[in-house]
Amino acid sequence: MEKELTPTESLAIIENMINKAKSNYSDDSTLYLLWGWVIFICSIGHFILLQTNIIKYPEYIWVLTWGAVIYQIYYILKKEKKKKVKSYTDEIVGYVWMGFGFTMFFISIIIGNQNNWITLYPIILFMYGTPTFISGVAIRFLPLKIGGIVCWGLAFIAKFTADIYVLLLLALAVLAAWIVPGYLLKAKYKNNSYEE
Amino acid sequence: MFKDLDPILHSQLRLAIISLLIGVKEADFNFIKEKTKSTAGNLSVQIQKLKDAGYIEVTKQFKDNYPLTTCSITKQGVHAFEIYVKALQGYLHTDKN
Repeated sequence: MEKELTPTESLAIIENMINKAKSNYSDDSTLYLLWGWVIFICSIGHFILLQTNIIKYPEYIWVLTWGAVIYQIYYILKKEKKKKVKSYTDEIVGYVWMGFGFTMFFISIIIGNQNNWITLYPIILFMYGTPTFISGVAIRFLPLKIGGIVCWGLAFIAKFTADIYVLLLLALAVLAAWIVPGYLLKAKYKNNSYEE
Repeated sequence: MFKDLDPILHSQLRLAIISLLIGVKEADFNFIKEKTKSTAGNLSVQIQKLKDAGYIEVTKQFKDNYPLTTCSITKQGVHAFEIYVKALQGYLHTDKN
C-alpha cells in the first residue's frame, strides 16, 4: 500500500512534472541549418552568376530549394515516427512555419514568373524575420529572436540597396537567423540543456 | 486524512502522470515511464485507473510492428486537476494559519 502524500509532497510532484514537460522542445536545428545553408548557397551563387554572366538564367540556382523541400518532408516523417511527446509549443511553432512555407510558395507561384524577384527581396527578408522571432520567443531561445530582428533590420536596408546586392543581404539574413542559431541550438541539445 | 482530495489524483504516480500530461498535447508510454521513473507494470495499472476515471484518453496503435500507447489529458482530467490543486492550496493555507 502506497503511503499517503502530504499536500507539500503533492505540490512538489506537480512542480517537478510540469518542469519536465515544459523544457521539452523538439530539436529543429537540422531544419534551420538545412534551410540556412540552402538559401545561403543559392543567394551567393545567384549573385556570382549575375556578376559573371556565365549562364543565361542564373535564377535557376533556386531550384536547389526543391531538393531542400523533399529532404524536409523525408526528415519530418522520419522524426514524427520517433517522437515520444507532442508539446503545444512544438505544434504552434510547426504551424507558424507551415504558414510561412505556404506564403513563400504562394509568392513564388504568383509573382515568381513575373521576373521581378529583386524588388520583392525586402518583403521576403521581412517575412524570414517573423517566424524566426516567434520561434525564438516560443522556445525561449535568444539567438533566434536576435536573428528575427536582424532580418527585419536587413529588410529596411534592402529597400535602399541597389538591385543585386540585395542577394548578399539575403545571405547575411539566413546566416544570422538560421545558420548561427542552428549551430547554437544543436550545441544546446548536445549539452542536454533541453530534454529531448 | 485529506478527505477533500480526489483519491484518483492523490497518489504519487497518478498525480505525476496527470501533471506531466497537463503540459503537453500527448505523450507516449515510454516518455511517461522515463519522466516518472516508474516501472512498466505499475504505470500500466495507473494509466488504466486514470482512463477508467475519464481523466485521460489512451490510444493504442502499432508503429513499425511495435505496440505504441499514447496518452492525452481530457477536459474532465484538466477540471479534476484544477480542483485538486485548489484543494491543496486550501490545506496549505490552513497549515500556515
